[in-house]
This record gives sequence, structure tokens and C-alpha cells, in this order.
Amino acid sequence: MSLFLFWVFAAMMLAFGAGVVLLRNPVSSAMCLVMSFLGLASLFFTLDAYFIGIIQILVYAGAVMVLFLFIIMLLDLKAERARKFNIPAMAGGIAVLAGFVGILYKVLASNAEYLHAKPAFTVPFTSDVKAVGAALFTQFNLPFQIIGVLLLVATIGVVVLSKKELK
Amino acid sequence: MNPISLEVFVVTLGIAMLMLESFVVSTDKRYLAWLGIAGLAIAFGASFFARPEFIPPNAPYASFYTADGMAMFFKRFSLLATILVLVMTIDYTSVIERFVPGETKGAGVGEFLSLPVLTCAGLMWMVSATDFIAIFVSLELVTISFYVLVAYLRRSEGSLEAGTKYLILGALSTGFIVYGITWIFGVTGRTNLAAIAAVLPGLPAASHTALLFGVGLVLVALCFKVAAFPFQFWVPDVYQGAPTPITAFLSVGSKAAGFIVLLRVLQPFLDFGPLHGKLETILLLLAGATLIYGNLSALPQRNLKRLLSYSSVGHAGYLFMAVASLGVAFARPAIEFYLSAYLLMTFLAFIVMALVSRSVGGDDISHFAGLARRSPWLAGAMLVAMLSLAGIPFTAGFMGKLFIFGVAIEAGHYWLVVLGALTVACGFYYYLLVVRAMYWQAAPEYAPEISVSLAGRVSMGALALLIFIVGIYPQSLLAFLG
Repeated sequence: MSLFLFWVFAAMMLAFGAGVVLLRNPVSSAMCLVMSFLGLASLFFTLDAYFIGIIQILVYAGAVMVLFLFIIMLLDLKAERARKFNIPAMAGGIAVLAGFVGILYKVLASNAEYLHAKPAFTVPFTSDVKAVGAALFTQFNLPFQIIGVLLLVATIGVVVLSKKELK
Repeated sequence: MNPISLEVFVVTLGIAMLMLESFVVSTDKRYLAWLGIAGLAIAFGASFFARPEFIPPNAPYASFYTADGMAMFFKRFSLLATILVLVMTIDYTSVIERFVPGETKGAGVGEFLSLPVLTCAGLMWMVSATDFIAIFVSLELVTISFYVLVAYLRRSEGSLEAGTKYLILGALSTGFIVYGITWIFGVTGRTNLAAIAAVLPGLPAASHTALLFGVGLVLVALCFKVAAFPFQFWVPDVYQGAPTPITAFLSVGSKAAGFIVLLRVLQPFLDFGPLHGKLETILLLLAGATLIYGNLSALPQRNLKRLLSYSSVGHAGYLFMAVASLGVAFARPAIEFYLSAYLLMTFLAFIVMALVSRSVGGDDISHFAGLARRSPWLAGAMLVAMLSLAGIPFTAGFMGKLFIFGVAIEAGHYWLVVLGALTVACGFYYYLLVVRAMYWQAAPEYAPEISVSLAGRVSMGALALLIFIVGIYPQSLLAFLG
């Protein structure tokens, strides 16, 4: 069952991911991205990583996508649709993609141990959120504090760079 | 004193500067720069009393953070670089006021002064990071503050373009490093570098390909940070568009911290027999390609900022020569020495350039024509910086290259040394172009007087003096290296 679901969600992710790149209308691309994120979140659910799955939906499909749509609304859609396919760029992109997939296949095929079912939990399953919170505030406190400084810097940056231009 | 209190102090200083800028009514924000310089100087002095023994061994951050000799040396290095950036900004406030919109005079200067202080905290964490998670978050802190600082001059198209380019390519390289870390974690099950070193020998041979893939991706991302081939193409545009003090900070601080992370990340994998040969080949190729690209591209440049950006790529190549020879005991001190010499000469060049371009209104080499007759002292400082960057004997740059070549010869990479010597010859040509313009060409018609603040004079004098002291008596610096 779980394997069947994996194929369904993985196919969904890849199909919509291709849609993001191939569709001409930016709004359709953004919507495909939402669907691709949902597929990824579902994959996390099948791996029993409920917290990451929920965060994936809340942060990416929710917050980040709203931001994307805002930006798209400010763009000139007609100019985007009228743009021609750039053949050399596309060929280059496909070559890079093919090379990357080739290397990835070689790496995955190098070790049969990578192909196995999800192992069962060795410790009893407890609340995800609680465990993440506890780890964040005890063992990973230093990185957590550094992220605090990072957010401060990002906030200053947003304020400074988006300040209204005065006439 | 616990070494981590240094970073806590620097972050507090940055926040205090922000608070003062919000609540103190004053249009002249330069007092903030002096406050920052004083605070960072206190941290610099205090760093000599910080000892790793004061980190409690069971502290939760002990596995993320080290305060070994190399980390302490580069904490001081970051503090010094940030002090120099603030000194440069004192003379640069008029440009910020012109290019940043605001209701009152001096708007935007306060943030421009406090962001480098917070970046400095990030650099200090970066050089201490011993875990991929700590490496990633501190790297992002540094990178994100640079995105803001590079794009800071909002009314200047060049600055905005540079900021956008840096943001997009930086995000791409972040993707590479995260993906690489995922692979390494997937194979070893650890994010701590010491723990990874401990589990590597027990890995099945079939996992080595996957491990190499992960290390390769991390290496690509770090090449972006240190401006090395194949991720160097952002360098000229970003360096040219960014505000000059930030260009200097980017080219020294970001590069040095990037190399320290590179050394820490590569160490466990280079010590691991099955990967050693392959990684060394990759590093040798990177070193060769970076040397050739950086130095050949610098030849036709007629803009000094672009020239210095390509030269920054070239210097990354010399540093990579030593990274590829890490098996030699002296390789690490040689890298640290080279980075210190690089700090001295790059900041000296950028301080002079910021002053000249502010008064003449451009940073092409032709803007420096006849500088020796107008301001002999500034021309003299630039001469020292260029001679040292080119690697003339009795300067810090010469000793740095000498140590690096010595290490590469000891490791048996003779072809790389030959290549290095050839590219040094290229360097002579393009660095001395600037000297020729300053001393042998007539000044342009519009050549106003260049005024220099006392802080600028003192720092230029100190940097020029240090270049000669270190160049003639390198033991004075070697004694401080970790």
C-alpha cells in the first residue's frame, strides 16, 4: 500500500514539477508548484514525518506561494507569454539535467542497500512537535540562536530595501 | 573567559547600535561608526583572554563550536576586517546619503553601520563551526546580510543589479550545499564533522560514490563563497556594483571564512583513504582552473574594481594550491598567512580606491592617472598595495606566495607551481598598469583635492607598515597563527 502511494505521490510531484517549467502562463506555473509541494508533503506523511509534512504545506504551499502570486500579479504577463523558446538555453538545460540524472542513477545503483523499505520504528512513536521543540531548545540551541540573528538581519534588510522613495 | 561570549558581545553591540540609531536624534550618524569600532576593538582585545577550556564540556553547543587556534585567529581576523569596513564607511557616508532615500539627512547610515557588525558575528561563528548545521546557519547569516549590503544603494542601478545577481546565485549555491549535506548525512547518519570522521572507516565501500557526490556538491557551494572556479562568474558584477566598503568586506571576510569552513569540511574526507586521491585531483583541477581564469580575465580590465575582483579570483586559486596540498604540515599556516596578507593589501587598495573614486567620480584606472602628483601619500599607499598584490619581494604578498609555492612543491605538485609562477607574471602586468597610471600619466582635467579623515590616514599607514613588517619579518605573524 505504502509503495503504491509512493508512486502516486512521486509521479504527481514530478508531473507538476515539469509543469512549473514548461507552462507558459506564470499563474499556472505557480499553481503547479503548489501541487508539487502537496505531493512532497504527502510523501513525508507516508514516511510518518507528519510534522515536516504539515510544515511543508503551511510554509511552502501557504506562505511562500502567496508571496509568489503577489509578485506574479505585479508582473507583465503578456510579455512573458510572448517570449520565444530559447533553443540553446533549453538544450543546455536538458544536457545539465541529463548529466545530473545520470550521476544520480550511478550513485543510487552503486549500493543495493539504498533500495529498501522504510524500517520500523525502534523507539515508541511520540509527538513530533514536542520532540522537535525539545531538540530545538536544548541540543540545537546555538544554531537556533544564530537563526534568530539571521532573522533580525533579514528584517532590517527588508525595511531598508523597501522603504518608500520620497519625492 | 568563554570564547562564545565574544560573539554574544558582538551581536549585542550590533543591536545596541540599531537602538541608538532609532532613539538618538542626530543627523550625523558617524558616532555610531566610532561606537562600533570601539566595541569591536574591545572584543579584539578580549579575544586574547578567551580560552577553549572555559567551554563547559557538557554544554549543548560544545559539539557545534570549537575555539581552537585557527578559530581564534580568524575571529580576530573578522573583527579587524569589520573595524576596517567601519573606518571606510566613515568616509563613505556622503555616498550612502545620496543613494538611499530617506526623510531626514543621514537616513540609512545607521543600518549600514550596524549590519557589518552582525555579519562579523556570523563570520566568527562560521570559523568556529564544527557541525554541518552550525556551518549552514552561520553561512546563511553572513550571506543574507551581504545580500542586503550589496543592494544597499537603492538609487544606484549597479548596486541593485549586483544585489539581485548575488541573491539569485547565492540561493542556487545554498541549494547545492544543503543537497550535499543531505547526501553526506544520508550516508553517514551524522552532521558533526568529528562524528563523520569517526564513522567513515566503517562505511561499506559501495557508499563511497554517494559520499563523493555529497562532498562534491558541498565543494561547489563553497567555491561560490570563496569566489573560485566553477562558481566565480558572479564576482566581477557584484564587486563592481556593491558599495566599495562592502566589496572589500566581501572579498576579504567572506573569502577567509569560506576557506576556513572548506578546511574543516574537507579534513575528515581527505584523511579517509579511499576518497583522498579523487578529492585531491578535484582540488588540483579547481586550483589550476581558478588560477588561469582569474589572472587571464584580469589582463584586459580597465576598471579597477573589476580588476580587483578578478584578482580576488586569482588569489583564491593560490589559496586552493595549498588546500590541494593539505597533507603537508605547513599547508594550514601557509593558508592562514596568505589570508592575513590578503587582508592587509586588499583593504589598503580598497581604502585608497574608495577615497579617489568618491572625489573623482569613477573607479576606472584612468581616474587614477597622475595621482602621484596630486596626492603623493595616497598614490604611495596604492603603490604598496599593488606591489604586495603582485608579489614583489619584501612585501607580505610575496611571503604569502612563497609559503604557498613551498607547500605545493613539498606535496609534489610541480606543474601547479609552474602554472602559479606563470600567472604571477600576468599579475605583474595588470597590477603595475595601475602604478603606471598613477606615476607616469598626466592627471585628468577635473582633478579635485582629495581629503582624507584621520581614521583613514591612520589605518592606511598602519596597513602599509604591516605589509612591510610581515614581508620582511614573517615570523612576527607566524607566531600568532593557530
